[in-house]
Amino acid sequence: MKPPAHMKKTISDLQRDKPVTLLDMKEGETASILRISGGRHLRARMAGLGIREGTCLRLISAAPFSGPLLVEDTASGARVMIGRGMAASVEVCDQTPS
Amino acid sequence: MAGQPNCGKSTIFNAVAGFKVNTGNFSGTTVSFTETRVYLGGRTVRLIDLPGTYSISSHDLAEKEARDFLLSGNVDVIINVLDSSILGRSLELTIQLLEMNIPMVMALNMYDESKEKGIDIDLELLNALIGVEAYPVIAVEGTGVRDLFEAALRVAKEQFRPVQPVYDRDVEECIAQISHRYPDAIREALDIDERFVIIRLLEMDEEFEHTVWKIDRDFLQFVIEKRRSLAEIHNWPEAGVFASPPCHRVRSLRAGGPGDPQNRPELQGAYRPLHHQPGRWPGGHRGPLFFMFFVSFLLGDIIAGLIEAPLDAIGQKLVGMTDGIAAVAISGLYDGVVAGVGIVLPYLLPLLVLMAILEDSGLLPRIAFMVDGILHRFGLHGKSAIPIILGYGCNVPAIMAARNMEYERDRVITMLIVPFIACSARTVIILALAGKYLGAAVTTAIYAGNILIALTVSFFLSRLQADPSPGIIMDVPPLRRPYPGLVAKKVWWRLNEFLTFAWPVIAISSLVLAFLAHVGIDRVVNGILAPITTGILNLPDATGITLFLGIFRKELTLLMLNQALGTGDVATILSSAQILVLVVFTVLYIPCIATISTLWKEGGWKVALYSVMLNTTIALVVAGGLAHALKVF
Repeated sequence: MKPPAHMKKTISDLQRDKPVTLLDMKEGETASILRISGGRHLRARMAGLGIREGTCLRLISAAPFSGPLLVEDTASGARVMIGRGMAASVEVCDQTPS
Repeated sequence: MAGQPNCGKSTIFNAVAGFKVNTGNFSGTTVSFTETRVYLGGRTVRLIDLPGTYSISSHDLAEKEARDFLLSGNVDVIINVLDSSILGRSLELTIQLLEMNIPMVMALNMYDESKEKGIDIDLELLNALIGVEAYPVIAVEGTGVRDLFEAALRVAKEQFRPVQPVYDRDVEECIAQISHRYPDAIREALDIDERFVIIRLLEMDEEFEHTVWKIDRDFLQFVIEKRRSLAEIHNWPEAGVFASPPCHRVRSLRAGGPGDPQNRPELQGAYRPLHHQPGRWPGGHRGPLFFMFFVSFLLGDIIAGLIEAPLDAIGQKLVGMTDGIAAVAISGLYDGVVAGVGIVLPYLLPLLVLMAILEDSGLLPRIAFMVDGILHRFGLHGKSAIPIILGYGCNVPAIMAARNMEYERDRVITMLIVPFIACSARTVIILALAGKYLGAAVTTAIYAGNILIALTVSFFLSRLQADPSPGIIMDVPPLRRPYPGLVAKKVWWRLNEFLTFAWPVIAISSLVLAFLAHVGIDRVVNGILAPITTGILNLPDATGITLFLGIFRKELTLLMLNQALGTGDVATILSSAQILVLVVFTVLYIPCIATISTLWKEGGWKVALYSVMLNTTIALVVAGGLAHALKVF
């Protein structure tokens, strides 16, 4: 199967060893969380909202003026907004369902 | 009663206790716990509504309160409320609560909504998996609440313990080893389940680490070593041992558990959530707010117009019947009573209804989402939007709402901004003075200017703090149709506060003012305040007493104005410019007593004092500047 256009970017990013984060996702894309780099406060905070390693997220939309991202936990349907600073510490791997 | 934010604990609480606590469709409506005594099954029990908490290891003030209460050892049974429409996430907290080893029943709230979403929850399977009875509940309708409480009583009586979640072999071994070395000192010091403490330590819970460190450092060191080796085995960061996939047999409960649509491909189609995209409605994010003021102004004007004339006629007759001191008393009291009905109610009522709808619909988090980017530029973030918007209703709950901000820095700035927001009392003043005499354009400009001033203040305040705001992370609940019954109850609840507290205060103040005017004491206050009123603000000195009274209740400024100026029509005494200056000053100056005391309670006396000085200074500068600028033209 041919990877979609955004996958190519993802793969090349991986080759350059640059972590792919939530910020790199486009609206409507789905990805699962690979790693959350960040302190325990941040982790605890996210875990409480259901965002932890292995969670599958879909990016619904991004707020204007570099506002937060709105993501949906595809398993539960719960929606959470995450500021860009925090989103940068959420590494994801692409999992757009084929 | 515990559960994650916005799962409906307070709604269930209200269904049992009558409308006692505020509810709304956004996380963090409840910020402190409320207790009620309920007569159930032949005995009186204490029912406690806790603030929502995402997990036991949470950090904001409201969540800490819930955690401390749960760990206090005074809990007979936890009524664990879950939002069944997002069951997967709700189970996060459930697992932690299970580990506390306290008897529990589960309330699967919003059962109707999960049905609509196509989630079929297998109650028996859930029961079999975790050994906790689960009851479907639709809190807004009160369905299932009785069964839930009967079950809770039974479970509490039997002290029936839930089944403990089992982790994988490595973790269980690790827990067993630590348990072996568990010091008696800790067992005595903490009245908390041993396994729970160990799991909290393995999850790097700071508070438990701190407590244990004080009692037995060697033991903590041992736990940390174990934790490290566990992290190595699983090849995950130390902080994430429990999040790592191999660890979670419990995960089967979470991800593959009953009702998970991922496990049921046939449901995927039905699963598409019904809610709309957040955000965009005509007029941008400020749209609904301005719409609200417009509607409340319009409705208020109509109602006020209808009742003004007959009320005036009655007043004339009453005063005509008496003379001397009795006339002073009657006209004073009557003015106060009428002021409440005639001026405040027409504007207050529509605003309360609209605020209630705004809260219940779930629009608030969406506004927060939309304005986060803008607020960032002013040193705030989207979460501050909720207290700020609530501030349009009343500053007191708005300041309390700042509790759901995790960082002290954000919280303090938000608390200092809120008093600038024109609450319903000040909205009444704006609408009744600026709206009536200056027109809609000026009124809108006052609101816009008000927001601008608040944002500017925030901008400078945030520059005083070195560390930048770490940003927002927040739950976005689906939009829900507000239940008319609940909205009505909520409006009545708030109106009641006005009728039973503010109104008598207004009536009595009016009476007192009439007497003071009769003997001439008001002139003393006016004289003291004259440098401000006539000197800086270019207003008649008679406004001094009204501004002074406004510190107690903002409405008083307006209501006493007629009394103080000795006229029913303010425009005959004050010029348009003076009315504008008066309104601007009233909106900005010293917060009312209730707000100051709330600031004191929530942020300490420094914050309260700072807020008073900040507001007064800015009010004097802005209104004074305006007065002098208008004099030039």
